[in-house]
Amino acid sequence: MEPNIKLKMTLPRIPDIELVAIEGLDRMARHMGIPEEKIGEAHVLVTEAVINAFEHSGQSRPVVRIEFTMNQEKLIIFVRDYGKGFDPGAVEQPDIDKKLSSGHKRGWGLKLMETMSDDLLIESDDKGTRITIIKNLK
Amino acid sequence: MEAEFALKTEVRGDVLIMATSGYVNNDGGQQIASVFEEYHAKGFSRVVMDMKESKVVNSIGISFLIEVIEKLNDNNGKLIFANLAPSIEKTLSIMGLFNYAAKESSVDKALAALA
Repeated sequence: MEPNIKLKMTLPRIPDIELVAIEGLDRMARHMGIPEEKIGEAHVLVTEAVINAFEHSGQSRPVVRIEFTMNQEKLIIFVRDYGKGFDPGAVEQPDIDKKLSSGHKRGWGLKLMETMSDDLLIESDDKGTRITIIKNLK
Repeated sequence: MEAEFALKTEVRGDVLIMATSGYVNNDGGQQIASVFEEYHAKGFSRVVMDMKESKVVNSIGISFLIEVIEKLNDNNGKLIFANLAPSIEKTLSIMGLFNYAAKESSVDKALAALA
């Protein structure tokens, strides 16, 4: 079996920077021969995790660290911000019926990450948030 | 890398076809909602959203489509997504959009479904 390959990046807050992380992930996945369907789902996980990290960082010049560890069986995505943290238990589950009649239609990132991943761990305190996402690739 | 967002529109009969390309992000979602609003004000209430050239979306961009669906629902309109990449289809499904909008594998099939 191929050994793990890793990629680490520190992302500044500039528009669409999550696409840079996705590009790195794509190159790793192609090297490992990962199916397109799984790569597409990993795109969603990375995109939502990075956007979430910047949105909740509460800093004027935030950075987000992202690390991918991949083998042919599994992808581990680690995302770290240095913001004020949040309580994942206090995040309301979005519901399309309620969103349709609401002025606030956002707030889907956590649900997408929970549903599309195989495991999701969120650790958050006043020094920032660490999200670990596991995606099975077989 | 996924290209910058762009939006093309076409009218066929009383159906508005909006074709996206590139990353459907916050700005892309706003553009979709804004262009839709222009046509909606002219009376268009049947829409095909062709996403063949978009492979990456984010939930903020897609949340603007909920706004489009809400306005269409208010006057018995209909939205059909076409040419969805599997991960985008799964994203829309998790968000519950297919409770209020349909999907087809091509624009032609979407137009046929609206006929």
